Amino acid sequence: MKQNLRTLFLFSFLLLAVQFSFAQEKEISGIVTSQLDGSPIPGVNVLVKGTANGTLTDSGGNYSLTVNVGDVLSFSYLGMKTLEITVQDSNVINVQLEEDSQQLDAVIVTALGIKKSRKSLTYAAQDVDAEELSRIKQTNPVNSLSGKVSGLSITRSASGAGGSVKVVLRGNSSLGNNQPLYVIDGIPLLNPSGGQPSDTFGDINGGNRDGGDALSLLNPDDIESLTVLKGASASALYGSAGLNGVILITTKRGRSGGFKVDFSTNLTVDTAAYFMDFNGETEANIDDFYDSGLTNINSLTISGGNETAQTYFSYGNTNVTGILPTNTLTQHTFNVRETAQLFNDKLSISANILASTQKIKNRPVSGLYFNPLVGVYGFQSDTESLSDYRDFEAYDSARNIQAQRWFRATSDIEQNPYWILNRNASEDNNKKLVTSLNLKYQFNDWLSLQARGTYDKSILDFEKKIYATTEATLAPENGRYINTNQDFTQVFGDVIATLTPQINDDFTLSAIVGASTTRNRTELFTADSGTNGGLQFANVFSFQNFEGNPQVTFVQNSYRTQVYSLFSSATIGYKDQVYFDVTARNDWSSTLPKENNSFFYPSFGVTGILSELFDLGDGVSFAKIRTSYAEVGNGFGPDLIARNRSIIFGGGGISPTEPINPFPGTLPEPERQRSFEIGTEWRFNNGKYGFELGYYRTSTINQYFTVNVAAGAGTSGQANINSGDILNKGFEATVFANPIENDNFKWRTTVNFASNKNEILKLIDSSIEGVETLANFPISDPGVNTFGSFLVEGGAFGDIYAQVVARDENGLPIVDTTDGIAIQQQDNDDRVPALEKVGNANPDFTLGWNNSFTYKNFTLDFLIDGKFGGETVSMTEAIVEGLSNNSARETNNGTVNIVSPDGVPSTLTAQEYYSAVGGRNGFTGEYVYSATNVRLAEFALGYNFNLSDDSFFSSIKASLVGNNLFFFYKDAPHDPNISLSTGNALQGVDVLGLPSTRSLGLNINLTF
Amino acid sequence: MKNISKLLACFFVLGIVGNSCSDLEDINDNPRDITQEQLEVDFQQVGSKYKPIFESIYQYTPAWSYQLQQNLNADVYSGYMTNPRPFVAGANNTTYNLVSGWNDFIWSVPYNNVMNNVKTISDLTENDFPTLYATALILKVEAMHRVSDVFGPIIYTSFGDLENVGEYDSQQEAYDAFFTDLDIAVENLMADIDSERFTAFDLSYGGNYRQWVKAANSLRLRLAIRISKVDPVKAKLEGEKALAQPLGLMVTNDDSFFVNSSLSHPLATIDNSWGDIRMNASMESILTGYNDARISSYFDESIDYAGEHKGIRNGLPLLPGYEDELAQKADYIGFSTLNESVKTPSVQLMTAAEVYFLKAEAALRGWTGAGDAQSNYEQGIITSFDQRGASGAATYIADNTSTPADYVDPVTPSNNIAALSNVTVAWNAGDTNEVKLEKIITQKWIAMFPEGQEAWSEFRRTGYPRIFPVVSNQSAGAIDTDIQIRRIPFVDSELSTNATGVANAVSLLGGPDNGGTRVWWDTGGPNF
Repeated sequence: MKQNLRTLFLFSFLLLAVQFSFAQEKEISGIVTSQLDGSPIPGVNVLVKGTANGTLTDSGGNYSLTVNVGDVLSFSYLGMKTLEITVQDSNVINVQLEEDSQQLDAVIVTALGIKKSRKSLTYAAQDVDAEELSRIKQTNPVNSLSGKVSGLSITRSASGAGGSVKVVLRGNSSLGNNQPLYVIDGIPLLNPSGGQPSDTFGDINGGNRDGGDALSLLNPDDIESLTVLKGASASALYGSAGLNGVILITTKRGRSGGFKVDFSTNLTVDTAAYFMDFNGETEANIDDFYDSGLTNINSLTISGGNETAQTYFSYGNTNVTGILPTNTLTQHTFNVRETAQLFNDKLSISANILASTQKIKNRPVSGLYFNPLVGVYGFQSDTESLSDYRDFEAYDSARNIQAQRWFRATSDIEQNPYWILNRNASEDNNKKLVTSLNLKYQFNDWLSLQARGTYDKSILDFEKKIYATTEATLAPENGRYINTNQDFTQVFGDVIATLTPQINDDFTLSAIVGASTTRNRTELFTADSGTNGGLQFANVFSFQNFEGNPQVTFVQNSYRTQVYSLFSSATIGYKDQVYFDVTARNDWSSTLPKENNSFFYPSFGVTGILSELFDLGDGVSFAKIRTSYAEVGNGFGPDLIARNRSIIFGGGGISPTEPINPFPGTLPEPERQRSFEIGTEWRFNNGKYGFELGYYRTSTINQYFTVNVAAGAGTSGQANINSGDILNKGFEATVFANPIENDNFKWRTTVNFASNKNEILKLIDSSIEGVETLANFPISDPGVNTFGSFLVEGGAFGDIYAQVVARDENGLPIVDTTDGIAIQQQDNDDRVPALEKVGNANPDFTLGWNNSFTYKNFTLDFLIDGKFGGETVSMTEAIVEGLSNNSARETNNGTVNIVSPDGVPSTLTAQEYYSAVGGRNGFTGEYVYSATNVRLAEFALGYNFNLSDDSFFSSIKASLVGNNLFFFYKDAPHDPNISLSTGNALQGVDVLGLPSTRSLGLNINLTF
Repeated sequence: MKNISKLLACFFVLGIVGNSCSDLEDINDNPRDITQEQLEVDFQQVGSKYKPIFESIYQYTPAWSYQLQQNLNADVYSGYMTNPRPFVAGANNTTYNLVSGWNDFIWSVPYNNVMNNVKTISDLTENDFPTLYATALILKVEAMHRVSDVFGPIIYTSFGDLENVGEYDSQQEAYDAFFTDLDIAVENLMADIDSERFTAFDLSYGGNYRQWVKAANSLRLRLAIRISKVDPVKAKLEGEKALAQPLGLMVTNDDSFFVNSSLSHPLATIDNSWGDIRMNASMESILTGYNDARISSYFDESIDYAGEHKGIRNGLPLLPGYEDELAQKADYIGFSTLNESVKTPSVQLMTAAEVYFLKAEAALRGWTGAGDAQSNYEQGIITSFDQRGASGAATYIADNTSTPADYVDPVTPSNNIAALSNVTVAWNAGDTNEVKLEKIITQKWIAMFPEGQEAWSEFRRTGYPRIFPVVSNQSAGAIDTDIQIRRIPFVDSELSTNATGVANAVSLLGGPDNGGTRVWWDTGGPNF
């Protein structure tokens, strides 16, 4: 870290020493292009500020003008932000204009990279500026979206730096994947999950770990802008991949005219901030255990070029030391993009290579297995402190080995935390490579043809070395070695013809016809000497040291899928007053049986521009109403119609059971999602303030359930059937205002609101003989613990079930104290045995309030992010109270009023009561908290340095930044915005997850 | 039309990415798995299905699955072993608080791993390879009579019949079907007795069909004896058929039915790694009382009580004074572990010694061909001693004074209990048939160790040996402490997938679906 800062300062001084100046009249020329995609913009007004001297760009975006050095040139175009540039010594000034989403006629990138005027959209879409993503940098740039887009819910992973992120648009609908599709520059990004935990107990094969995603491997400084397509209407052209909405990312490209260099560095200090109340000694142990984290994100971009060819290059690196001792992350990201316009700008070429590597040591886990926090939070001693066990091993003469030491016998869930960190250590090595090529040929003013292809690879490697004398449940006597390799490849190609024929003055038509192919290949390799298989020699971590028996896991798997698609869309406009949108797509998917592998789905939408159709008065600058309907089909995962048996390593033969197949006699059909939305958009006083309001209703049917089937059916106990109907409906609203806007002071404020209501209308079709009549479908199976999440008919996605204490009519817990302390259990809901519904992990509504102030050279930005409603369970608290007397309330001499089964009131000490209700399988219903929280999510105070015109730097900006600074309101002991899993399971629960952090730091941006 | 569109799509994108437009159908198949075509080499499409059958009758792996399939029910109810840790705070199977989540494995393991593979083999072999079909049938009967003995009615004759999904047979119908299947098996094997077709796939007899016929005959005798009280006529008919079959029964220990896998014995993991199973107090009482030399090949001496073999009483609750399960386990984990010799990778399903004891009982019942009761009884003991490498069988057989010992629990004296039987080892021709039967079954019980499933069945049928009752009975009146547990209720996975079938099965059972209801062959009446 020190090294980086020193280099930065040295570099700065060298550059400041160089200065230039000049003054003369001359002829200049240049080309004006769109920053969105680099295409030339005809008709841009180029004007010398304060004079009538000006011109318009031609059809190729070219202009020329006679000016004086020192003149300020103004480039303005409807729908674009006006750009001002001071003339210096160069005779060529090429500029790129940025879309202005505030402007009524702004252009927006839609599905497949098709640009449309924002006003013609028949569905909801929302933009986020690059600055919003890079102002306060996070190691996973998608985390920065929280609160900035209505209807988009972000849940951060509890796995620290480099963790994956859970993004849900308009509610959960799928038993499988609910994450949106990410599209970079028009091409779908392969964003595989390296696996997510699903069990509160923890995964015995290495702990509850976050397998990572591709998004954490992106450099936030490469992002130019980001558009969120919220519903299926917007994303129908992406087919099944776009079922859950689409996040379109437009990356930066080279600009013509001179080279531009940007450098930014971001350094934050992270502290463990939000966790339960412990007693004094434990607090001291915890303070001593957690480190101060440091996050350093550096980024250097160089861009430039001429009219024909432009280059963009970026390098980013991230170095993190986590709050968990020994946890570190090192990441490097390279991005190179070449763009060129040839043959009189008829042919545009863009080629891109993105490569990243990421190394994470000891990525934090949750749950009970391999989790150092069990020992940290549960440590109890009158004579020793936790730091006495930093020496985590001692010589054992019987085996001639360094053996684990701990204050009591280790158990499957509890070991010396320092032993876990040093002798059960893990390392993740992740790599991402995306290469893409985009060719576009403009035949004439109404026809263009575009062809794109990408080769996209993600490699996620994991290694864990578990030394001998680790607890016997987790590793045999000689230790254990786990090594997994996940290699994902996606090859995508499409061809799109765009037609914009001139019809007449009243009607406009824009249509596309295209075809695409997507081929995915996944290679998985898992080697695990296992809990019984074993190693031949202690503490040698290699495959040749594996015992050769079937208890050893040594498995390769290979999955391939192929989807072919034909699609088409048309937008018909009438007098800029009404737009009609229609799309159609047909997929052929290898993941369905050939009888059913072709499926078609359409979407329709219509928009009326009220402010064009009617005279709404001067105050209304723009008003529209829109509605759309879409249907999307989905072809499931690759293993749905698997037919082959697996082979078991070490002489194990074939798997004893049949692969899980469609229920005998049934044929799988594609999953279907049907969505309807309606919305309106109003702007007043020339866009000084305005709002958008939308309502949607989405039902997802024909999902694939793996269910138990009667033993007599002749399968191996399980089969797949099509069933289910899950409904999501909700409102989305965005209100913005620019209350103050003058030369010195600007204030811009935006509020994003979204509510979603989810309902399980139908679960399993029980009319099929031999298929389980399923009262519930587990999303988080409680296993031997007592937190679960289940789908039940009439319930909702994210419903939380816990073991609940029976209470009398006064709400007093019923406890039988005749023989020890026997807490009585309530069990009214027979759809989920032994557990009761205690809440739902999802909020009722979310509010994000984003503010941006500019006063002279100062900028102040802050985001208040609120989630209202929903519940969360602290199994951490339950476990601590069951395992020890370390919670604050167990040792504060408090009492709890109880009542006997016969109704006789009495009291228990708090310690007696909470020790009895605690535990991983205790009365988790006592640990339910409201998930409602309002926090200062982001804060940035910046200063733009005044630079003389001849300074080598074109801009220097320094900011004080803070992230997750404090909660205005929070009920839960933990941060309810982080989750143990970014999949569907383990929502609304904390099981010894790493506490969320508060970050404060400095951000410096230099442009020269 | 569809195909034309697809071709068009293919053609359209071919140029860019060079993907082939091969048929979509096979793309999904995981090439690391084995296809049907690949299995056909060396006839593995049939052969490879035997291994999971062999290894799941008494499941090898994962060990926790065996623990739930048998170890925490029949192995404990038989008086062979018990758990030092009072799982679920003492409210578990062993204290008659039946844990339905555990007991599902008694059902699901044989259905998912045996029945489905037998069906696949049967479909492929019934017409073309009758001897392979025969071995599959014998394995099926061996696996499924155990399941029927646990539950009563089971799904057997309608398995895989999609017209009658989940239709249960009564236990009587199931036993009839077992005998019929054994008829077919023996007939098919006898027709091609020297064939070596099974050699590559046989984990028991190296492909020797003569041994398979002996095993089938012995199994038939076991099943015939089982129904001897409820249906003496059928029992005698089937028993005499077994005794008269030309290739005979198991005679020497080499004839015994073991599964020889390369996998480790599940008891090794449960006993050694987890410390979850120990010697049962009934075993201690009978083996030490008789000064039985086999004790040291069954159990190790206690590490806490040097020089002693120490067992634990059945059905321990979370005893007063213990904070939790682990604290109680800490005091009992030092009792006798199972000896390595019963934890070798071979799993014992039926021994020659058992067959001698079956013949001894058949003789008592007057079945033709059974021979003399005493000589069968004594040969059973000798064969068992031989199998265990124990010496002193002759002295043991002659011992007419030693009786089972009183049991002392050095940790919790309230568990102490006096021996329940006063029979000795030595045969006395003047004894009543009842006393003779107690001796036969007691000795068979010792010989069959550690196969708790058969031991529990025979205890229920005859009441022998006299096993100590549970310390804590948490069945809420469903199970009588002295009569002890008679069966396991139908499992949750069946209730949720096949409620109608289970309802019919309960009516076939003829009593409430709990652990106190007797199965068909368990008449509760006198043995003679």
